[in-house]
Amino acid sequence: MMLTIKDLHARVEDKVILKGLNLEVKPGEVHAIMGPNGAGKSTLGYVMSGRDGYELVSGSIEMNGDDLMELEIEERAQKGLFLAFQYPVEIPGVSNMEFMKESVNAMRKARGEEALTAAEFLKMAKEACKQVNLPLDFLKRGVNEGFSGGEKKRNEIMQLILLKPALAILDESDSGLDIDALKVVADGVNSQRDGKRSFIVVTHYQRLLDFIEPDYVHILSDGVIVKSGGPELAKEVESTGYAWLGKPVESEEAGA
Amino acid sequence: MSDWLAQVIDRADAVASAQNDELSSARLSALSELKQQKWPTRRTEAWRYTSLHPLEDMTLPALSNDTPAVPDIDGLEPIDFVFVNGKLQGNMPALPAGLSIGGLTDSTMQAAATEVFGTVKPRTHLFGLVNDVLATDGLVIDVAAGASIARPLRIVNVVTAGAETHHRVLVRIGDGASVSVIEHGAGSGASVNTAFAEYALGAKAHLEHYRFALHSGDAIHIGGAHFSLGTEARLNSTLVGYGSQLSRLDYDVIHAGQHAHAKLNAVYLLGPREHFDLHTNIEHAVANGTTEENARGIIGDRARAVFNGRIHIHRDAQKTLAELNNRNLLLSRGGNISTKPELEIYADDVQCAHGATVAEIDDKALYYMLSRGIKREQALVMLNFGFIQELVQQMPSKALAQWLEPQLRARFVEMDTRNGS
Ligand SMILES: Nc1ncnc2c1ncn2[C@@H]1O[C@H](COP(=O)(O)OP(=O)(O)O)[C@@H](O)[C@H]1O
Ligand SMILES: [Mg+2]
Repeated sequence: MMLTIKDLHARVEDKVILKGLNLEVKPGEVHAIMGPNGAGKSTLGYVMSGRDGYELVSGSIEMNGDDLMELEIEERAQKGLFLAFQYPVEIPGVSNMEFMKESVNAMRKARGEEALTAAEFLKMAKEACKQVNLPLDFLKRGVNEGFSGGEKKRNEIMQLILLKPALAILDESDSGLDIDALKVVADGVNSQRDGKRSFIVVTHYQRLLDFIEPDYVHILSDGVIVKSGGPELAKEVESTGYAWLGKPVESEEAGA
Repeated sequence: MSDWLAQVIDRADAVASAQNDELSSARLSALSELKQQKWPTRRTEAWRYTSLHPLEDMTLPALSNDTPAVPDIDGLEPIDFVFVNGKLQGNMPALPAGLSIGGLTDSTMQAAATEVFGTVKPRTHLFGLVNDVLATDGLVIDVAAGASIARPLRIVNVVTAGAETHHRVLVRIGDGASVSVIEHGAGSGASVNTAFAEYALGAKAHLEHYRFALHSGDAIHIGGAHFSLGTEARLNSTLVGYGSQLSRLDYDVIHAGQHAHAKLNAVYLLGPREHFDLHTNIEHAVANGTTEENARGIIGDRARAVFNGRIHIHRDAQKTLAELNNRNLLLSRGGNISTKPELEIYADDVQCAHGATVAEIDDKALYYMLSRGIKREQALVMLNFGFIQELVQQMPSKALAQWLEPQLRARFVEMDTRNGS
């Protein structure tokens, strides 16, 4: 199993957000997680990647047999977990190129491979940059510094292409994109599907799923998966919205 | 008066009667000045954030005789003067034309020595006065007018555990002459060291100056570098400081002639519990001078940095252009920085800018990098070392920059106490 999440309860600060989430992802599968704002979609990605302040209360997350919660943030990444951020972080003073080269080489080192030389990496980076339709000078700029929303999302996909993670979580990689940019993102992701690597595509809208066809669709509401199905479930959401979920998700008294 | 100062004065009287050189009268005058001075306390403005308790409480251990090796720097061929506990090692090296160098009490150097001694360094520095009366070791450097000295002069000042030394450097740079001087101080054992340097730059003289104050641990280091700039003189100075239980430096730059330019870069990197205090004072006494000062520091856990940057633009110093910037990064909440730019402007037609910032580690950026598999220490270097590196790369000597950078990087990585400890 690529990913096994069992009865996951997690909190942010003092608030329990995930309230008994279960999910299994096999190698090569694409799962879509949909749900209204505030459902806990981003929280899931943050807990899995190990962001400070996002704490496991109970339950377990296993990736390829490793207990993720036992690993440091960078170790999780080195073992193949990748989160494409909903809000990619700007790092002025560190070039995109340096950032990605260090990242790729950190992964290679963890696998016992030789570090790439600057020239070798540059060649790879240029190709990836073209693939996501970003001008080459984006490699020289500070990480996400002054990038538009869409450029940031494409920059995340460029990293996905370079890092080749076993399990990628795409957190609203479609939001704020026009149709062309959406296609670039989708093509980027599709180019990485090889029957072994798995993807969790988190989205608010069905639109992205027209281009990245999922094997399974899950609806997350108030910290639990309330419904799972095939691609047709996404279509259903498109026509009915999330109103059928009933109560607003931000109820304070919601316990574990 | 403290016991420490009292014993200095006792010894100074002895030094004064033993030495009978051209500097004697200047020493005596410093001594009478010193006798007027009050021992600094927390209420003394210049010592507000730096306690002298480590000095008051210091009991020196037995003198250690291990001497650290003098670093070999790739691509740099300095003329070396190595002092161990104040004593010059080996013979005076051969000198190129236009350069004369001798000891402080060397009779051949007396003209230059008396011209510079105590005339550049303001008398306000208590430990400068201490150095005046106690320093018998050091160098007098005289660069003849018009001479351009190609090889840098490196003055290495090693202080071993158990030593107390007072070291002085006096440099006269003639009109139109140019020279590069590296003052390299090191030592980490319990010791007391004052080291003051005075540089008098003639008209159109050019000085490339480096001070590596790499004292750490239990070494007490109090010193200064003081520059007087003649008309159209140029100073490019880089200070790199580590902290120790007590490290304090005072810099003075005096624009004595018009159209002089001073560029001052300072970098400090303080490991856990280290203390480093830098006071800089720029005196624009005449018109049309420019000063560009950048001080940047990284402060480790429970370390304390003090930066006080004063710019004083006198009434007649019209058309002065002065910029002062101080940036600090606290590696942990336990670190501490007191930074204070102090502008005193009495001329109306000047451009003067100053700024000071204190930042903490950007946790979001760090998380983003970790989530890409980059190791924590590497991520911290990438995130936070850049602003220090920038100043290091501005050093005119690429060879020195290349030698220094990996050392600073290593020190920085070690400083990150949150990593696993
Ligand atoms: N850092 C935080 N501090 C406090 N509450 C948070 C924080 N991050 C998210 N939340 C809350 O957690 C809930 C789920 O947020 P999130 O996972 O971002 O939802 P989604 O991605 O599904 O829109 C929301 O109620 C949100 O307000
Ligand atoms: Mg979200």
